[in-house]
Amino acid sequence: MNDGSLENRKEHEKSQKQSKSSKFRRKSDDFALAIRKVAVAQVCESVGFQSFQHSALETLSDIIVRYIYSIGKTASLNANLAGRAEANVFDVIQGLEELGSGLGFAGSSDVDRCVANSGIVRDIVHYVGHVDDIPFAYDVPRFPVVKEWKGMGSFWEKGEEPLGEHIPSWLPAFPDPETYATRSSAGNEMMSVSNGEKTELARVERKVEQSLLNLQQRFAHNGNEGGSSRDGGDNGRARKASLSNPYLAAPLLFGEKEVEVSPVLLPAKLLNEVALRNHVPENCVVGNHVSLLETFAPAIEAIKSGLCNSDNEQKKVLYNQRPLVHFKIGIGKKSLGMAPDFNSSKKDPGKIASWFGNDNEKDDQKRRAEKILKESRESSQERAQL
Amino acid sequence: MNHNQQSGDAKNDDDSALSDFLASLMDYTPAIPDELVEHYLAKSGFQCPDVRLIRLVAVATQKFVAEVASDALQHCKARQAAVIKDKREKQQKDKHLILTMDDLSKSLLEK
Repeated sequence: MNDGSLENRKEHEKSQKQSKSSKFRRKSDDFALAIRKVAVAQVCESVGFQSFQHSALETLSDIIVRYIYSIGKTASLNANLAGRAEANVFDVIQGLEELGSGLGFAGSSDVDRCVANSGIVRDIVHYVGHVDDIPFAYDVPRFPVVKEWKGMGSFWEKGEEPLGEHIPSWLPAFPDPETYATRSSAGNEMMSVSNGEKTELARVERKVEQSLLNLQQRFAHNGNEGGSSRDGGDNGRARKASLSNPYLAAPLLFGEKEVEVSPVLLPAKLLNEVALRNHVPENCVVGNHVSLLETFAPAIEAIKSGLCNSDNEQKKVLYNQRPLVHFKIGIGKKSLGMAPDFNSSKKDPGKIASWFGNDNEKDDQKRRAEKILKESRESSQERAQL
Repeated sequence: MNHNQQSGDAKNDDDSALSDFLASLMDYTPAIPDELVEHYLAKSGFQCPDVRLIRLVAVATQKFVAEVASDALQHCKARQAAVIKDKREKQQKDKHLILTMDDLSKSLLEK
Protein backbone atom coordinates (compact mmCIF):
# COMPACT_ATOMS: atom_id res chain seq x y z
CA MET A 1 0.00 0.00 0.00
CA ASN A 2 2.74 2.38 0.88
CA ASP A 3 4.67 1.68 -2.28
CA GLY A 4 1.63 2.21 -4.39
CA SER A 5 0.89 5.57 -2.88
CA LEU A 6 4.48 6.68 -3.28
CA GLU A 7 4.43 5.81 -6.91
CA ASN A 8 1.21 7.67 -7.42
CA ARG A 9 2.63 10.71 -5.80
CA LYS A 10 5.73 10.60 -7.92
CA GLU A 11 3.71 10.28 -11.07
CA HIS A 12 1.50 13.09 -9.96
CA GLU A 13 4.48 15.32 -9.33
CA LYS A 14 5.97 14.34 -12.61
CA SER A 15 2.84 15.16 -14.48
CA GLN A 16 2.58 18.42 -12.63
CA LYS A 17 6.12 19.31 -13.50
CA GLN A 18 5.55 18.40 -17.09
CA SER A 19 2.45 20.48 -17.30
CA LYS A 20 4.25 23.38 -15.69
CA SER A 21 7.26 23.18 -17.91
CA SER A 22 5.20 22.78 -21.02
CA LYS A 23 3.26 25.93 -20.35
CA PHE A 24 5.92 28.02 -21.99
CA ARG A 25 7.22 25.39 -24.27
CA ARG A 26 4.29 24.39 -26.41
CA LYS A 27 4.78 23.09 -29.86
CA SER A 28 3.36 26.18 -31.42
CA ASP A 29 6.00 28.21 -29.64
CA ASP A 30 9.01 26.66 -31.33
CA PHE A 31 10.10 29.82 -33.01
CA ALA A 32 10.02 31.85 -29.82
CA LEU A 33 11.79 29.03 -28.04
CA ALA A 34 14.64 29.08 -30.50
CA ILE A 35 14.93 32.84 -30.42
CA ARG A 36 15.01 33.13 -26.69
CA LYS A 37 17.70 30.46 -26.48
CA VAL A 38 19.84 32.51 -28.80
CA ALA A 39 19.19 35.65 -26.81
CA VAL A 40 20.08 34.03 -23.50
CA ALA A 41 23.18 32.52 -25.02
CA GLN A 42 24.30 35.90 -26.24
CA VAL A 43 23.85 37.47 -22.84
CA CYS A 44 25.70 34.65 -21.12
CA GLU A 45 28.50 34.96 -23.60
CA SER A 46 28.83 38.64 -22.82
CA VAL A 47 29.06 37.77 -19.13
CA GLY A 48 31.95 35.45 -19.79
CA PHE A 49 30.75 31.94 -20.42
CA GLN A 50 32.14 30.11 -23.39
CA SER A 51 29.79 27.19 -23.66
CA PHE A 52 26.60 25.94 -22.12
CA GLN A 53 24.87 22.77 -21.20
CA HIS A 54 21.72 22.31 -23.23
CA SER A 55 19.56 21.75 -20.21
CA ALA A 56 20.96 24.80 -18.46
CA LEU A 57 20.29 26.96 -21.49
CA GLU A 58 16.75 25.75 -21.80
CA THR A 59 16.12 26.24 -18.12
CA LEU A 60 17.41 29.76 -18.21
CA SER A 61 15.36 30.61 -21.26
CA ASP A 62 12.27 29.24 -19.54
CA ILE A 63 13.04 31.40 -16.54
CA ILE A 64 13.31 34.59 -18.51
CA VAL A 65 9.98 33.84 -20.11
CA ARG A 66 8.43 33.48 -16.69
CA TYR A 67 10.12 36.70 -15.69
CA ILE A 68 8.69 38.60 -18.63
CA TYR A 69 5.36 36.95 -18.05
CA SER A 70 5.23 37.99 -14.41
CA ILE A 71 6.29 41.54 -15.21
CA GLY A 72 3.54 41.77 -17.78
CA LYS A 73 0.97 40.32 -15.48
CA THR A 74 1.84 42.60 -12.60
CA ALA A 75 2.02 45.66 -14.79
CA SER A 76 -1.33 44.99 -16.39
CA LEU A 77 -2.79 44.31 -12.96
CA ASN A 78 -1.53 47.64 -11.69
CA ALA A 79 -2.92 49.38 -14.72
CA ASN A 80 -6.30 47.75 -14.26
CA LEU A 81 -6.30 48.71 -10.61
CA ALA A 82 -5.75 52.29 -11.62
CA GLY A 83 -8.64 52.03 -14.01
CA ARG A 84 -6.65 51.97 -17.20
CA ALA A 85 -6.58 49.45 -19.98
CA GLU A 86 -3.11 50.28 -21.20
CA ALA A 87 -0.13 50.02 -18.96
CA ASN A 88 2.10 52.88 -17.95
CA VAL A 89 5.78 53.16 -17.25
CA PHE A 90 4.95 53.41 -13.58
CA ASP A 91 3.02 50.19 -13.72
CA VAL A 92 6.03 48.50 -15.17
CA ILE A 93 8.34 49.92 -12.55
CA GLN A 94 6.04 48.83 -9.78
CA GLY A 95 5.96 45.39 -11.30
CA LEU A 96 9.73 45.30 -11.34
CA GLU A 97 9.82 46.38 -7.74
CA GLU A 98 7.47 43.62 -6.80
CA LEU A 99 9.69 41.11 -8.52
CA GLY A 100 12.79 42.37 -6.84
CA SER A 101 11.10 42.81 -3.50
CA GLY A 102 12.50 39.53 -2.29
CA LEU A 103 16.01 40.85 -2.38
CA GLY A 104 15.18 44.40 -1.66
CA PHE A 105 16.37 47.47 -3.44
CA ALA A 106 17.56 50.89 -2.42
CA GLY A 107 14.83 53.12 -1.16
CA SER A 108 12.21 50.47 -0.60
CA SER A 109 11.77 51.37 3.01
CA ASP A 110 10.91 54.98 2.35
CA VAL A 111 7.26 55.67 2.79
CA ASP A 112 6.72 58.45 0.35
CA ARG A 113 9.19 57.64 -2.29
CA CYS A 114 8.60 58.45 -5.86
CA VAL A 115 8.32 55.50 -8.12
CA ALA A 116 10.42 57.21 -10.73
CA ASN A 117 13.22 57.54 -8.28
CA SER A 118 13.20 53.94 -7.24
CA GLY A 119 16.35 51.98 -6.83
CA ILE A 120 15.33 49.57 -9.48
CA VAL A 121 15.27 52.23 -12.12
CA ARG A 122 18.61 53.50 -11.00
CA ASP A 123 20.02 50.03 -11.21
CA ILE A 124 18.78 49.65 -14.70
CA VAL A 125 20.14 52.99 -15.72
CA HIS A 126 23.43 51.97 -14.26
CA TYR A 127 23.36 48.73 -16.14
CA VAL A 128 22.52 50.36 -19.44
CA GLY A 129 25.31 52.81 -19.00
CA HIS A 130 27.90 50.16 -18.36
CA VAL A 131 27.07 47.27 -20.59
CA ASP A 132 28.07 47.23 -24.22
CA ASP A 133 25.43 47.21 -26.80
CA ILE A 134 24.87 43.65 -27.97
CA PRO A 135 22.55 43.55 -30.94
CA PHE A 136 20.61 40.39 -31.42
CA ALA A 137 22.14 37.90 -33.80
CA TYR A 138 19.21 37.41 -36.12
CA ASP A 139 16.72 39.63 -37.73
CA VAL A 140 13.48 38.75 -36.04
CA PRO A 141 10.25 39.32 -37.90
CA ARG A 142 7.10 40.26 -36.14
CA PHE A 143 5.44 37.22 -34.74
CA PRO A 144 3.15 35.44 -34.28
CA VAL A 145 2.12 35.93 -37.81
CA VAL A 146 -1.54 36.67 -37.84
CA LYS A 147 -3.28 35.15 -40.80
CA GLU A 148 -5.86 37.33 -42.33
CA TRP A 149 -9.06 35.65 -41.51
CA LYS A 150 -11.46 35.97 -44.34
CA GLY A 151 -14.70 35.70 -42.53
CA MET A 152 -17.77 34.39 -44.13
CA GLY A 153 -19.63 37.21 -45.64
CA SER A 154 -22.87 38.17 -44.06
CA PHE A 155 -26.11 38.11 -45.89
CA TRP A 156 -26.01 41.81 -46.17
CA GLU A 157 -22.50 41.85 -47.56
CA LYS A 158 -23.29 39.27 -50.15
CA GLY A 159 -26.49 40.85 -51.16
CA GLU A 160 -28.38 37.69 -50.49
CA GLU A 161 -31.79 37.58 -49.06
CA PRO A 162 -31.84 35.68 -45.80
CA LEU A 163 -34.29 32.84 -45.85
CA GLY A 164 -37.06 33.85 -43.59
CA GLU A 165 -37.69 36.87 -41.49
CA HIS A 166 -36.20 35.35 -38.39
CA ILE A 167 -32.69 35.51 -39.82
CA PRO A 168 -31.12 38.98 -39.58
CA SER A 169 -29.04 40.09 -42.47
CA TRP A 170 -25.90 40.79 -40.51
CA LEU A 171 -25.41 37.11 -39.76
CA PRO A 172 -23.01 35.16 -41.97
CA ALA A 173 -24.64 33.71 -45.02
CA PHE A 174 -25.46 30.06 -45.38
CA PRO A 175 -23.02 28.01 -47.43
CA ASP A 176 -23.96 27.00 -50.92
CA PRO A 177 -26.86 24.58 -50.85
CA GLU A 178 -24.88 22.12 -52.93
CA THR A 179 -22.45 21.51 -50.13
CA TYR A 180 -24.98 20.29 -47.67
CA ALA A 181 -28.16 19.67 -49.62
CA THR A 182 -26.79 16.75 -51.59
CA ARG A 183 -27.06 14.36 -48.72
CA SER A 184 -30.65 15.05 -47.98
CA SER A 185 -31.76 15.60 -51.51
CA ALA A 186 -29.74 12.85 -53.12
CA GLY A 187 -32.53 10.44 -52.41
CA ASN A 188 -34.90 12.60 -54.34
CA GLU A 189 -32.45 12.92 -57.14
CA MET A 190 -32.09 9.22 -57.31
CA MET A 191 -35.78 8.81 -57.76
CA SER A 192 -35.89 11.17 -60.64
CA VAL A 193 -32.85 9.92 -62.45
CA SER A 194 -33.50 7.52 -65.26
CA ASN A 195 -31.50 4.46 -66.10
CA GLY A 196 -29.52 6.08 -68.84
CA GLU A 197 -28.54 8.90 -66.62
CA LYS A 198 -27.60 6.47 -63.94
CA THR A 199 -25.01 4.78 -66.05
CA GLU A 200 -23.63 8.12 -67.07
CA LEU A 201 -23.40 9.18 -63.49
CA ALA A 202 -21.70 5.94 -62.65
CA ARG A 203 -19.18 6.54 -65.39
CA VAL A 204 -18.48 10.04 -64.19
CA GLU A 205 -18.00 8.96 -60.63
CA ARG A 206 -15.81 6.10 -61.66
CA LYS A 207 -13.56 8.45 -63.51
CA VAL A 208 -13.27 10.78 -60.62
CA GLU A 209 -12.83 7.97 -58.16
CA GLN A 210 -9.91 6.69 -60.10
CA SER A 211 -8.32 10.06 -60.17
CA LEU A 212 -8.88 10.44 -56.46
CA LEU A 213 -7.31 7.08 -55.80
CA ASN A 214 -4.31 8.19 -57.72
CA LEU A 215 -4.14 11.31 -55.67
CA GLN A 216 -4.27 9.28 -52.52
CA GLN A 217 -1.61 6.92 -53.63
CA ARG A 218 0.65 9.72 -54.55
CA PHE A 219 0.51 11.17 -51.12
CA ALA A 220 0.77 7.81 -49.47
CA HIS A 221 4.04 7.20 -51.27
CA ASN A 222 5.33 10.58 -50.25
CA GLY A 223 5.82 12.16 -53.55
CA ASN A 224 6.69 9.05 -55.44
CA GLU A 225 5.70 10.54 -58.69
CA GLY A 226 7.37 8.13 -61.01
CA GLY A 227 4.51 5.69 -60.83
CA SER A 228 3.53 4.05 -64.01
CA SER A 229 0.49 5.55 -65.45
CA ARG A 230 -2.28 3.12 -65.88
CA ASP A 231 -5.45 3.92 -67.54
CA GLY A 232 -7.52 1.84 -65.24
CA GLY A 233 -10.82 0.95 -66.50
CA ASP A 234 -12.15 -1.60 -64.16
CA ASN A 235 -15.71 -0.87 -64.65
CA GLY A 236 -16.89 -3.80 -62.68
CA ARG A 237 -14.95 -2.79 -59.61
CA ALA A 238 -15.72 0.82 -59.87
CA ARG A 239 -19.38 0.13 -59.97
CA LYS A 240 -19.14 -1.15 -56.45
CA ALA A 241 -17.46 2.05 -55.50
CA SER A 242 -20.53 3.89 -56.51
CA LEU A 243 -22.40 2.39 -53.61
CA SER A 244 -20.75 4.19 -50.75
CA ASN A 245 -22.15 4.88 -47.38
CA PRO A 246 -21.18 8.20 -45.89
CA TYR A 247 -21.34 6.83 -42.38
CA LEU A 248 -18.59 4.40 -43.17
CA ALA A 249 -16.43 7.16 -44.46
CA ALA A 250 -15.69 8.38 -40.98
CA PRO A 251 -13.15 5.71 -39.95
CA LEU A 252 -11.27 6.30 -43.12
CA LEU A 253 -10.86 9.94 -42.44
CA PHE A 254 -9.68 9.27 -38.93
CA GLY A 255 -7.13 6.66 -39.83
CA GLU A 256 -5.57 8.06 -42.94
CA LYS A 257 -3.55 10.93 -41.72
CA GLU A 258 -1.01 10.98 -44.47
CA VAL A 259 -3.51 11.04 -47.18
CA GLU A 260 -6.20 13.04 -45.56
CA VAL A 261 -4.33 15.94 -44.11
CA SER A 262 -2.03 16.91 -46.91
CA PRO A 263 -4.33 16.59 -49.86
CA VAL A 264 -6.96 18.56 -48.05
CA LEU A 265 -4.49 21.30 -47.30
CA LEU A 266 -2.99 21.59 -50.72
CA PRO A 267 -6.13 21.91 -52.69
CA ALA A 268 -7.49 24.31 -50.13
CA LYS A 269 -4.43 26.49 -50.55
CA LEU A 270 -4.72 26.30 -54.28
CA LEU A 271 -8.36 26.97 -54.01
CA ASN A 272 -7.61 29.97 -51.88
CA GLU A 273 -5.22 31.28 -54.48
CA VAL A 274 -7.68 30.64 -57.19
CA ALA A 275 -10.37 32.20 -55.11
CA LEU A 276 -8.29 35.28 -54.66
CA ARG A 277 -7.66 35.49 -58.32
CA ASN A 278 -11.15 34.84 -59.44
CA HIS A 279 -12.86 36.61 -56.59
CA VAL A 280 -14.82 33.55 -55.74
CA PRO A 281 -16.79 33.99 -52.54
CA GLU A 282 -15.50 32.34 -49.43
CA ASN A 283 -18.26 29.86 -49.00
CA CYS A 284 -17.21 28.23 -52.23
CA VAL A 285 -13.84 27.50 -50.71
CA VAL A 286 -15.47 26.07 -47.67
CA GLY A 287 -17.75 24.02 -49.81
CA ASN A 288 -14.83 22.65 -51.76
CA HIS A 289 -13.07 21.83 -48.58
CA VAL A 290 -15.97 19.81 -47.35
CA SER A 291 -16.62 18.07 -50.59
CA LEU A 292 -12.99 17.13 -50.97
CA LEU A 293 -13.06 15.10 -47.83
CA GLU A 294 -16.10 13.35 -49.01
CA THR A 295 -14.74 12.74 -52.44
CA PHE A 296 -12.01 10.61 -51.08
CA ALA A 297 -14.51 8.21 -49.68
CA PRO A 298 -15.59 6.71 -52.97
CA ALA A 299 -12.04 6.68 -54.19
CA ILE A 300 -10.98 4.53 -51.35
CA GLU A 301 -13.92 2.31 -51.94
CA ALA A 302 -12.61 1.76 -55.42
CA ILE A 303 -9.22 0.75 -54.09
CA LYS A 304 -10.82 -1.62 -51.74
CA SER A 305 -13.00 -3.12 -54.36
CA GLY A 306 -9.95 -3.49 -56.50
CA LEU A 307 -8.36 -5.66 -53.86
CA CYS A 308 -10.99 -8.30 -54.14
CA ASN A 309 -10.82 -9.52 -57.68
CA SER A 310 -12.85 -12.63 -57.61
CA ASP A 311 -15.88 -11.76 -55.60
CA ASN A 312 -18.60 -9.62 -56.81
CA GLU A 313 -20.93 -9.97 -53.94
CA GLN A 314 -20.86 -7.05 -51.62
CA LYS A 315 -21.16 -8.97 -48.43
CA LYS A 316 -18.25 -11.16 -49.25
CA VAL A 317 -16.20 -8.16 -50.09
CA LEU A 318 -17.08 -6.78 -46.74
CA TYR A 319 -16.06 -9.86 -44.89
CA ASN A 320 -12.85 -10.48 -46.77
CA GLN A 321 -11.59 -7.00 -46.47
CA ARG A 322 -12.31 -6.24 -42.88
CA PRO A 323 -9.36 -8.14 -41.48
CA LEU A 324 -7.18 -6.49 -44.11
CA VAL A 325 -8.13 -3.17 -42.72
CA HIS A 326 -6.82 -4.06 -39.33
CA PHE A 327 -3.58 -5.57 -40.44
CA LYS A 328 -2.50 -2.86 -42.72
CA ILE A 329 -2.82 0.13 -40.51
CA GLY A 330 0.79 0.23 -39.56
CA ILE A 331 2.23 0.09 -43.03
CA GLY A 332 3.00 3.10 -45.13
CA LYS A 333 0.37 2.24 -47.69
CA LYS A 334 -2.28 3.36 -45.37
CA SER A 335 -4.77 4.19 -48.00
CA LEU A 336 -5.06 0.61 -49.05
CA GLY A 337 -5.32 -0.73 -45.58
CA MET A 338 -7.90 1.65 -44.39
CA ALA A 339 -10.18 1.32 -47.31
CA PRO A 340 -13.54 1.29 -45.67
CA ASP A 341 -16.47 -0.77 -46.45
CA PHE A 342 -19.12 1.04 -48.30
CA ASN A 343 -22.42 -0.61 -48.13
CA SER A 344 -24.78 -0.12 -50.88
CA SER A 345 -26.99 2.79 -50.39
CA LYS A 346 -29.30 4.37 -52.79
CA LYS A 347 -28.15 7.87 -52.30
CA ASP A 348 -24.62 7.68 -53.38
CA PRO A 349 -24.39 7.76 -57.16
CA GLY A 350 -26.41 10.87 -57.38
CA LYS A 351 -24.63 12.32 -54.42
CA ILE A 352 -21.22 11.75 -55.82
CA ALA A 353 -22.14 13.14 -59.16
CA SER A 354 -23.54 16.23 -57.59
CA TRP A 355 -20.41 16.68 -55.52
CA PHE A 356 -18.26 16.56 -58.55
CA GLY A 357 -20.45 18.52 -60.77
CA ASN A 358 -20.78 21.64 -58.75
CA ASP A 359 -17.33 22.83 -57.93
CA ASN A 360 -15.31 25.09 -60.10
CA GLU A 361 -11.79 23.98 -59.34
CA LYS A 362 -12.10 20.28 -59.99
CA ASP A 363 -9.76 20.05 -62.96
CA ASP A 364 -6.47 20.00 -61.15
CA GLN A 365 -7.99 17.79 -58.50
CA LYS A 366 -9.07 15.36 -61.16
CA ARG A 367 -5.63 15.24 -62.64
CA ARG A 368 -4.06 14.58 -59.31
CA ALA A 369 -6.72 12.08 -58.42
CA GLU A 370 -6.09 10.24 -61.65
CA LYS A 371 -2.45 9.89 -60.86
CA ILE A 372 -3.20 8.53 -57.46
CA LEU A 373 -5.72 6.09 -58.79
CA LYS A 374 -3.20 4.72 -61.19
CA GLU A 375 -0.67 4.18 -58.51
CA SER A 376 -3.23 2.57 -56.30
CA ARG A 377 -4.13 0.18 -59.03
CA GLU A 378 -0.54 -0.79 -59.31
CA SER A 379 -0.16 -1.37 -55.62
CA SER A 380 -3.42 -3.19 -55.41
CA GLN A 381 -2.20 -5.58 -58.04
CA GLU A 382 0.91 -6.19 -56.03
CA ARG A 383 -1.22 -7.00 -53.05
CA ALA A 384 -3.32 -9.36 -55.05
CA GLN A 385 -0.18 -11.16 -56.10
CA LEU A 386 1.02 -11.42 -52.56
CA MET B 1 4.63 73.89 2.34
CA ASN B 2 8.31 74.12 1.87
CA HIS B 3 8.62 70.41 2.08
CA ASN B 4 5.88 69.98 -0.48
CA GLN B 5 7.58 72.38 -2.80
CA GLN B 6 10.83 70.57 -2.40
CA SER B 7 9.27 67.23 -3.07
CA GLY B 8 7.53 68.75 -6.05
CA ASP B 9 10.88 69.86 -7.44
CA ALA B 10 12.37 66.50 -6.70
CA LYS B 11 9.50 64.89 -8.51
CA ASN B 12 10.06 67.02 -11.55
CA ASP B 13 13.71 66.11 -11.54
CA ASP B 14 12.86 62.47 -11.24
CA ASP B 15 10.38 62.70 -14.03
CA SER B 16 12.86 64.35 -16.26
CA ALA B 17 15.46 61.78 -15.34
CA LEU B 18 13.03 59.05 -16.15
CA SER B 19 12.07 60.56 -19.47
CA ASP B 20 15.73 61.04 -20.30
CA PHE B 21 16.36 57.46 -19.46
CA LEU B 22 13.52 56.28 -21.60
CA ALA B 23 14.86 58.33 -24.46
CA SER B 24 18.27 56.82 -23.98
CA LEU B 25 16.72 53.40 -24.06
CA MET B 26 15.95 53.87 -27.67
CA ASP B 27 19.64 54.18 -28.42
CA TYR B 28 20.48 51.00 -26.65
CA THR B 29 19.46 47.77 -28.31
CA PRO B 30 18.95 45.04 -25.76
CA ALA B 31 20.16 41.57 -26.54
CA ILE B 32 16.66 40.23 -26.13
CA PRO B 33 14.72 41.21 -29.24
CA ASP B 34 11.71 43.43 -28.89
CA GLU B 35 9.45 41.09 -30.78
CA LEU B 36 10.07 38.26 -28.37
CA VAL B 37 9.39 40.42 -25.34
CA GLU B 38 6.32 41.86 -26.94
CA HIS B 39 5.03 38.40 -27.71
CA TYR B 40 5.29 37.21 -24.13
CA LEU B 41 3.98 40.44 -22.69
CA ALA B 42 0.98 40.16 -24.96
CA LYS B 43 0.46 36.62 -23.77
CA SER B 44 0.34 37.81 -20.20
CA GLY B 45 -2.14 40.58 -20.94
CA PHE B 46 0.16 43.53 -20.99
CA GLN B 47 -1.01 45.93 -23.61
CA CYS B 48 1.04 48.92 -24.50
CA PRO B 49 1.71 50.64 -27.78
CA ASP B 50 4.79 52.34 -26.38
CA VAL B 51 8.01 50.79 -27.61
CA ARG B 52 10.02 52.28 -24.81
CA LEU B 53 8.21 50.29 -22.19
CA ILE B 54 8.93 47.12 -24.08
CA ARG B 55 12.55 48.14 -24.25
CA LEU B 56 12.48 48.75 -20.53
CA VAL B 57 11.19 45.27 -19.85
CA ALA B 58 13.74 43.82 -22.25
CA VAL B 59 16.57 45.64 -20.53
CA ALA B 60 15.32 44.58 -17.11
CA THR B 61 15.21 40.97 -18.28
CA GLN B 62 18.66 41.24 -19.74
CA LYS B 63 19.94 42.64 -16.49
CA PHE B 64 18.32 39.77 -14.63
CA VAL B 65 19.89 37.18 -16.90
CA ALA B 66 23.25 38.87 -16.63
CA GLU B 67 23.07 38.79 -12.85
CA VAL B 68 22.13 35.14 -12.75
CA ALA B 69 24.81 34.28 -15.27
CA SER B 70 27.47 36.21 -13.42
CA ASP B 71 26.59 34.44 -10.19
CA ALA B 72 26.82 31.12 -11.95
CA LEU B 73 30.14 32.18 -13.41
CA GLN B 74 31.45 32.93 -9.96
CA HIS B 75 30.37 29.51 -8.77
CA CYS B 76 32.02 27.91 -11.74
CA LYS B 77 35.28 29.76 -11.19
CA ALA B 78 35.22 28.98 -7.50
CA ARG B 79 34.85 25.33 -8.31
CA GLN B 80 37.68 25.42 -10.78
CA ALA B 81 39.89 27.21 -8.27
CA ALA B 82 39.09 24.52 -5.70
CA VAL B 83 40.05 21.81 -8.16
CA ILE B 84 43.28 23.48 -9.08
CA LYS B 85 44.18 23.97 -5.48
CA ASP B 86 44.21 20.24 -4.99
CA LYS B 87 46.44 19.51 -7.93
CA ARG B 88 48.93 22.29 -8.09
CA GLU B 89 51.24 20.60 -10.52
CA LYS B 90 48.79 20.61 -13.30
CA GLN B 91 48.35 23.76 -15.22
CA GLN B 92 44.96 25.32 -15.31
CA LYS B 93 43.34 22.43 -17.04
CA ASP B 94 40.01 23.88 -17.86
CA LYS B 95 39.84 27.48 -18.81
CA HIS B 96 36.73 26.52 -20.67
CA LEU B 97 33.80 27.94 -18.74
CA ILE B 98 30.62 25.95 -19.08
CA LEU B 99 27.26 26.96 -17.75
CA THR B 100 26.06 23.89 -15.92
CA MET B 101 22.80 23.11 -14.23
CA ASP B 102 24.48 22.93 -10.85
CA ASP B 103 25.89 26.43 -10.96
CA LEU B 104 22.70 27.77 -12.41
CA SER B 105 20.53 26.25 -9.74
CA LYS B 106 22.79 27.57 -7.02
CA SER B 107 22.71 31.08 -8.35
CA LEU B 108 18.96 30.96 -8.85
CA LEU B 109 18.41 29.80 -5.32
CA GLU B 110 19.92 32.99 -4.12
CA LYS B 111 17.66 35.12 -6.28
